[in-house]
Amino acid sequence: MGSRPSLLLRDEELAEIQKETGFTANQIERLYSRFTALDKTATGALSREDFLRIPELAINPLGERIVMAFFRHSDEDRVNFRQFVRVLAHFRPLKKSRANALNSREGKLKFAFKLYDLDDDDRITKEELLAVLQMMVGENISEDQLMSIAERTILEADSDGDGMIGFEEFCKVLDRSLVEQKMSIRFLN
Amino acid sequence: MMQLPFIISATFFVIFAVPTLTLFLLGIFHKLFGVREKYKELLLFIFERGRQRIEKNTLSRRQSQMNLLDEVDLEDDDDGIITPMYNEREGPSPDFELSDTFELVTAGIQAIVQDQVTHRFEAEELQSWNLLTRTNHGYEWISVKLTLLWVAGFYIRYLILLPLRVVILILGSVTMTFLTGLVGPIPGSWKIKPLLNDWACRVSFRIFSRAFSAIITYHDEQFKPNRNGITVANHTSPIDVVILSCNSSFSLIGQSHGGFLGVMQRALARASSHIWFNRSEMKDRKAVARRLKLHAQDPTKPPILIFPEGTCINNSAVMQFKKGSFEVDSVIYPIAIKYDPRFGDAFWNSAKHGMLHYVYRMMTSWAIVCDVWYLPPMYRKPEESAVDFANRVKAEIAQKGGLIDLDWDGGLKRSPAKKEWKEKQQLELATKIISNNNSFSRKNSSSTLISGSEFSEDEHGNLVSSPTPPPIPPASPTEKRIPEQSEECEEEDEDEFIMMTSPVPLEVKKEE
Repeated sequence: MGSRPSLLLRDEELAEIQKETGFTANQIERLYSRFTALDKTATGALSREDFLRIPELAINPLGERIVMAFFRHSDEDRVNFRQFVRVLAHFRPLKKSRANALNSREGKLKFAFKLYDLDDDDRITKEELLAVLQMMVGENISEDQLMSIAERTILEADSDGDGMIGFEEFCKVLDRSLVEQKMSIRFLN
Repeated sequence: MMQLPFIISATFFVIFAVPTLTLFLLGIFHKLFGVREKYKELLLFIFERGRQRIEKNTLSRRQSQMNLLDEVDLEDDDDGIITPMYNEREGPSPDFELSDTFELVTAGIQAIVQDQVTHRFEAEELQSWNLLTRTNHGYEWISVKLTLLWVAGFYIRYLILLPLRVVILILGSVTMTFLTGLVGPIPGSWKIKPLLNDWACRVSFRIFSRAFSAIITYHDEQFKPNRNGITVANHTSPIDVVILSCNSSFSLIGQSHGGFLGVMQRALARASSHIWFNRSEMKDRKAVARRLKLHAQDPTKPPILIFPEGTCINNSAVMQFKKGSFEVDSVIYPIAIKYDPRFGDAFWNSAKHGMLHYVYRMMTSWAIVCDVWYLPPMYRKPEESAVDFANRVKAEIAQKGGLIDLDWDGGLKRSPAKKEWKEKQQLELATKIISNNNSFSRKNSSSTLISGSEFSEDEHGNLVSSPTPPPIPPASPTEKRIPEQSEECEEEDEDEFIMMTSPVPLEVKKEE
């Protein structure tokens, strides 16, 4: 009769996830119950449709890109719990005592960078930037105008003059941006 | 040997007939002897003991397997969050920066971790276990004592409460058919007919409510709707109708059904004016609206009961009200209903469970405890649109019932989010880019590639003419950015209007 599956994580698995992501055991349990709630087909893995069933994500102009980030390191078209938590771990608030590779300033920036870098070649091209801009504003601004915005943005960031933005250039442009605050959310314990 | 059947029937009589008859009489005279209140208190006492037991257990379990990481857990709080020492770039911001995606991305991740909508269609989470297993998980094997308690509860619920309640349910339906049959033939011109009908309905619904051991507290009865008009309430389950009808009679509106449900509907319709549509009539939105209006304006008719959310929500929030019932020029009587989930989850997750399963769950729960608040009647202000009026009423209901006021559409339970909402956000982002561009170009005109005037001559010139939006990040996870129901969605509204009407009250009968 139980309508919610119980926590089926083994202790050693839990410890591994804790170590990798920095989440507490309670946070992981919470995320696991969220994961199973999103997993409508009860297969133990999430599909793109499972993600986009969340209305707030579905209406987010960058929603599909965000979902894509979960599938980047997965060869299959489904995301298991480990991969799910790993992506979310980028958004843990940064604390002195418990920083790790995922939620550090660099980790957060890397995540943001990869959102632009569609073909995963560690460079943001004019076309990739244009694609993001188009997702953000839809039909409301013409392509020519968006293209000039993209060109200007690249021009400002491009210090080596290759017409693209590499990760280091990306970090440099954003060195005065409040990445730590903007890319963090509260995870309930 | 001859005595055996006699003993059996006598036992049956004592176990079932006596309590049933008592309840039946209680239904008629509407007297409370405080028995149900005592029952409620006893249950709460047991749950509290159970909760303490569980807490003790989990604490000792945690202590035994505590490791280094867990130790850090306990100190986890908001202290020590690194705040950068520098400030954001000052001066005018350019039209687009690479960091402009951050807010959207963070809002998206936030929605993945916890969103406002999807869990409204799932059972509410409870603080303590109510020995029903269905709302909380993994509690069965906490301790032997608790398990025994659960087993005892199981026997009480399934072997005593359930059969008793089925009998009450049958009794209720017989009563309803009988009483409405008596009231029906009375000529409509007699003034006594509505009064008799009111009495007949209340008696039969009170008997029905006992089939779930409903313990209802009505507040502010001075605002109880007593004349024609439209009553709107938040919707959690089909038994909302029973809960409300126990205290005053309503006209119900809905689709007519066949079978036993149809018999009940016809029984109700015999004594009073309910609006039952058949399938094809429901499709005709204008006809429904016309009948609604005629009924609401007829002073001899009881108020119509409508659930404008159009679907059942888990009683933690109120979602968008369909505007249909607010378009009719009529007084609106708002009612807020809040169930106490500790005794049984009244929410009907219609996407997951069928009606039969739901009724079975209701009848094997401990009780249905709820509060009903009558709110002062509300009128549409001159110049106020139906949508605005609907939102105003919704806010009042949410506030009174202690529910969260959401602008999201309850239709999301079944259908995906509408594309227009995304487009609205894109428009906001575009407006922001354009206005940034304009102010930026005024200050450093040399460094912009796009001139402000180029935008204003654009075919989307309306963007520029609209006032500059406030600098709120468009992706902040509030419900503010969800567009209102627009007047253009007439076609979809047809379906919404149908959904808006209440599920008929007597669907419980499918039990048999």
